[in-house]
Amino acid sequence: METLQYFLPQVWFVILALFLFLYVMLDGFDLGVGILSITSSSEQRRSILMTSLSNIWDANETWLILMGGGLFGAFPIAYGTILTALYIPITLMIFGFIFRGVAFEFREQANRKFFWNIAFGAGSFIAALGQGFALGGVLKGINVDANGHFIGGTWDWLSWQSVVVALTLIQGYVLIGSTYLIWKTTESLQKTHYQTAKIAAITTLIGAVLITIVTPIFYESARDRLFQQPLVYIFAAIPPLAIWLIWQLLQSLNRQQERAPFVWTILLFVLTFFGLGLIVFPYIIPSQITIYQAAADPSSLVIMIIFIGFLIPIMLFYNIYQYIVFRGKVTENEHGE
Amino acid sequence: MDIISNTVALSRLQFAITAIFHMLWPVLTTGMGIYLVIVEGMWLKTRNPAYYHHARFWAKFYVLNFGIGVASGIPMGFQFGTNWAPFSEAVGNFFGSVIGFEASWAFMLEAAFLGIMLFGWERVNPAIHYLSTILVAFGANLSTFWILTANSWLQTPAGGELVDGKFIVKDYFQAILNPFMANSVMHMFLATLETSLFVIGGISAWYVLQRRHEEFFAKSFKIALAAAIAVAPLQIYVGHLSGEQVHQYQPAKLAAMEAQWETIPAGQAAPWSAIAIPNEKAQQNDWEIAIPNALGYILELKKELSEPVRGLKEWQPSDRPHMIGLIYYSFRIMIAIGFYFAAVMLWSTLQWLRGQLSPTNIAKQSWLMWAWIFAAPLGYIAVECGWIVRCVGRQPWVLYNQIRTVDAASNLPPGNVLASLTGYTVVYSLLFIAALYFGSRIIRTGPNLNLPLPGSETPAVVTKAGEFLPDERPLEAKQ
Repeated sequence: METLQYFLPQVWFVILALFLFLYVMLDGFDLGVGILSITSSSEQRRSILMTSLSNIWDANETWLILMGGGLFGAFPIAYGTILTALYIPITLMIFGFIFRGVAFEFREQANRKFFWNIAFGAGSFIAALGQGFALGGVLKGINVDANGHFIGGTWDWLSWQSVVVALTLIQGYVLIGSTYLIWKTTESLQKTHYQTAKIAAITTLIGAVLITIVTPIFYESARDRLFQQPLVYIFAAIPPLAIWLIWQLLQSLNRQQERAPFVWTILLFVLTFFGLGLIVFPYIIPSQITIYQAAADPSSLVIMIIFIGFLIPIMLFYNIYQYIVFRGKVTENEHGE
Repeated sequence: MDIISNTVALSRLQFAITAIFHMLWPVLTTGMGIYLVIVEGMWLKTRNPAYYHHARFWAKFYVLNFGIGVASGIPMGFQFGTNWAPFSEAVGNFFGSVIGFEASWAFMLEAAFLGIMLFGWERVNPAIHYLSTILVAFGANLSTFWILTANSWLQTPAGGELVDGKFIVKDYFQAILNPFMANSVMHMFLATLETSLFVIGGISAWYVLQRRHEEFFAKSFKIALAAAIAVAPLQIYVGHLSGEQVHQYQPAKLAAMEAQWETIPAGQAAPWSAIAIPNEKAQQNDWEIAIPNALGYILELKKELSEPVRGLKEWQPSDRPHMIGLIYYSFRIMIAIGFYFAAVMLWSTLQWLRGQLSPTNIAKQSWLMWAWIFAAPLGYIAVECGWIVRCVGRQPWVLYNQIRTVDAASNLPPGNVLASLTGYTVVYSLLFIAALYFGSRIIRTGPNLNLPLPGSETPAVVTKAGEFLPDERPLEAKQ
């Protein structure tokens, strides 16, 4: 029983991290493409951008809903406390999702596309911004009492550090969105996104360097964690690895490779996510509430492993199948009538 | 108390608006998903192109509703955390898990296969495509199952108990199979189906009256009617069972549904109030028309009750629902619509048996067609009324008889909630108008009967992306 009380929350931490990672990777490129659509030079180009997402955006977004549902069931206190503390960023994200989601169908139907173009582009941007502020707010720390209930202020999540985190996340999304478009499009559209990918790779790098420097200086809890033995060796390995990955990414962009940039970007996301996960673990509300304190009753965690955990391979299978069905380059007329 | 400065009231209002708006969309997608399975099955079996065109035409409504359904459903899930943190903490063990089940069993299935259903006609073989359509419908209806299971558990909590303010589940299956579950899932399943059938039938009737594609739409009309023959009476019966369960498990809600202030003791005849003006201050109905003995017959099929019907006055005002008029009239509107549907179904069936629905005769049935067009929006109203009865009627409890709604709300500055509430109201109003606009456009445009059949024709003209040069013209010129 003792071991179960440690083992089960750890399993759920890993499952939720997996859901969140799949979300950030998959909806990350959706949101990135959405942000890039703001700069589209013609309606046809924008149509291709949206068509490249139309069959997958919803399944991609569902990973976040799944992560939310899992968090609600596995760590109920954390669900309530984190979302209450981040009321404004989460609400921003939701409104972004609403506009982005309805834009797909409404834009296709509308004669005047202008409003729905904005809904799609700005919706994607606002959703990414909300997520960035949420991440920044969580990293900064949430003010809770001994029972894990939120006692901080409405604007606690806002600081110049969280602005840096938000901007970097948006750059990361633009980067993965650009590399996705390199994969899925051809010729002039593809060329444009070789350019945007390069710019985004460099701005993401700048943001990441800033965050890497800032985190140990300003966040005491993260500092303790970073210099803990033997983790310090792992953390020390992350920056050189990241630089190597970005170098590979830039190389592949220069060589005009079609799929490699997307893969290098995903590896970059994996590395970042792994680093963040190591800093946060074993906390669910960083440096305040551990996963063991926040965990639901062990019986709930077991039932959820049975009801959700065993579905993970099946969900992965049919999601991958979907990508195989819609493999290849996107053309504008493909999904229309 | 002033609502502007009352976080609990604002959070409640925000959840109510979100839920009422959200409910409009999945009602159609879950029901229409089954209809799409039927027409695609008929297309595969008969190879009659009309059925393929039906599948493509009605899927347009599906996708329109689906997008708004997703966009408006996400806020509900997040609001449990943002606005109802103490609730989330208290019931996370069960309620949170079920929300997770809904996402993993239902949402992902529907979302992943929807892409193939909508865009995959030329990309997968017919069997895989049909499987995708079936899985989309199955996924949508699994959502109904899980969310109604979760809500029923809040109405009739089972399978464990509150320990130090947290619900500890002792028996998961008992919690899932809580007293309300089976009936509520069935009632909602039939409601989505019935609403969709009357929307499909109503839109078909409109085309028939317009003399546009009468033969084509006579088909969908008859499919909807044939299904309604089973669904409409069954829904009345299941609704009746739900009412009996409310009598048994939530007597205060039943008293509110009937605006019954005084207890009717066992052994007495019980009248059924048809119209009344409930007065909460005076704790009585200012005016009322009641049908003698009817409540006894409704609840127990006999004149005198063997169990008392408890009146609202038996509970302290703080322990019973308020807004009695809203609950009382919502309930009656729902019932009236249920019987209207059954009557329209009977009338249509009669005409069908008399051969009046054949493609040549159907357009002459203008009164009947108008009855269907009138019925198209009614299902939505009935569903909303039903949810109002269910969720306003169970107040002041969020977990029935265990956790009060007032104790379940996050301690947020009211300004935050007011701002997000305003945002939701504005955005939802916009989306509602846009959906009506685009929905009516789909109807006015009508089906594209020249759409090439899958696998048979040369693919639509494919333009290469590279041919698009940057368009530098001013925006007006691009339109």
